[in-house]
Amino acid sequence: MLELKNIVFSVEDGPQENGGNGGGIRRIIDGIDYAFRKGKFYAITGPNGSGKTTLAKLIMGINPVTEGSILFGGKNITGYSITDRAKAGISYSFQQPARFKGITFRDLLSIASGTEEEMQLLALLRRVGICSLSFLDKPVDSKLSGGEIKKIELATTIARNPKVAIYDEPDTGIDLWTIGPMVNLLKREQAEHGTTTLVVSHNRAFLEVADVVLIINGGRFVYEGDLKGALPLLSDMSICNYKACVRIDDVGCFR
Amino acid sequence: MLDAFDKELLKTVADLEGLPKGAYNIRKNGRLLAREVSANIRIESLDDNRGIVVTIKPGTVNESVHIPVILSQAGLNDVVYNRFIIGEKSDVTIIAGCGIHCGGPDPEGHEGLHEFEVGRKAKVRYVEKHYATGPGRGKRSLNPSTRMVLAEGAHAEMELTQIGGVDEANRSNEAVLGPGSVLLVTERVMTEGSQRAVSRNSLVLEGNDSRANLVSRSVIKDDSVQDFFATLEARARCFGHIECDAILIGNGRNETIPSLKAFHPEAELTHEASIGKIANDQLMKLMSLGLSYEEAVNRIIQGFLR
Repeated sequence: MLELKNIVFSVEDGPQENGGNGGGIRRIIDGIDYAFRKGKFYAITGPNGSGKTTLAKLIMGINPVTEGSILFGGKNITGYSITDRAKAGISYSFQQPARFKGITFRDLLSIASGTEEEMQLLALLRRVGICSLSFLDKPVDSKLSGGEIKKIELATTIARNPKVAIYDEPDTGIDLWTIGPMVNLLKREQAEHGTTTLVVSHNRAFLEVADVVLIINGGRFVYEGDLKGALPLLSDMSICNYKACVRIDDVGCFR
Repeated sequence: MLDAFDKELLKTVADLEGLPKGAYNIRKNGRLLAREVSANIRIESLDDNRGIVVTIKPGTVNESVHIPVILSQAGLNDVVYNRFIIGEKSDVTIIAGCGIHCGGPDPEGHEGLHEFEVGRKAKVRYVEKHYATGPGRGKRSLNPSTRMVLAEGAHAEMELTQIGGVDEANRSNEAVLGPGSVLLVTERVMTEGSQRAVSRNSLVLEGNDSRANLVSRSVIKDDSVQDFFATLEARARCFGHIECDAILIGNGRNETIPSLKAFHPEAELTHEASIGKIANDQLMKLMSLGLSYEEAVNRIIQGFLR
């Protein structure tokens, strides 16, 4: 239902003194061909800097692809804006959610769900497991804790009733005790609403419940399968956690 | 008595549908249009109709006074001086505001000086909205000044809003805070086209344990210019904070100068100021919830000026 056709995302590399390779083009996503199946739960993992978040952003249209195309429900959405993709049924949870001034959780939830009806908003709170009603009128500003803002981010993503939900590191800032309920929530959404779910994460809790684990490295998928098969590759990669070790002067890598 | 333009202006600047309940004084084109007093709130005209004195009896609670000004006469520059004496331990809301309807090429303006004496342990909320409209091309200017003196334990909130249509605004706010008093000022200004707005604020924290918080939110569109000056002067053990944020859209320009002066060793003064475009992550978040770029910009500004 969501197909990536040989997508590439490249950036101009900076000068050598800033850590670049002295100009030229660097391919962050280096030709990914993949078809996500409807209603499946995907965990996308890989070392830092491997292209996980970039890939997620390309799907949402936050960054434009350099080459290739994206098909959604048979339609070519490569040229769609973020808004168009949202309207088509793709929803996105940001790793670092935006903080506003003067906008409350209620405002975001109303925009996301398209309703201001109190009963419907309360039903949404129940659906995402937020018990405290006073939470609804909290300003989404810099005073919120990391955990609170992530809950809001998740709730607004789910409130879209998306066909495809993308979660970029949903557990950032969430305490250990909340990760279990969060995993259950995403699984329940998948089961009850048939949501195709893409979770970008390092957290084993998400990898364990995924139907498919995808490992990305150097801008390409290097593994597709279950967690068991992924483990040897993951433990191998964990030695060099910063970037693919390709040059002799990659000091970040001790391999 | 109230024509259609008057009604529209009153609704915009004072949230009024027709005449208000409780005490009020409506001034139109430099003259008294309507007045009502209450058992606890007295309104008297100054000589030559220069303005009014509003006296609130000590202990008056949960009452409000509306004192809107409307202008629809071309070429008129209405100057008014109003004084508010707020009795001890009272708790009241004062809703002021000026609406200009400009139908011709001549300039119209309003200059208002509002002086407040807030009594011991009294609580007052002062809401002031400024708005101008109409098909005329005459320059619309609004130059309001407020001066407030807070007695011991007094608590005042000021909400000052300029919603739109005002070509030139020169605002000045001054306050002196007595012991244990609290002052919260929120100013919201939106300018567009080639409008200009300047706001000068000077708060003196004179009494021990006084607290002041000054918040400014500016949206500066097109080629408009807004300048914001704020000074907190601490003369006692006190706490003061300035928070000023400006959003630039188009070629808008802004100068923001917060200034902190401590003349007491136990003074605690802070400020945060920012000027910039609408943050990209805010836009992307709202667009990812299905809003178009323009809708997202509007929602962010709406919230920012709320």
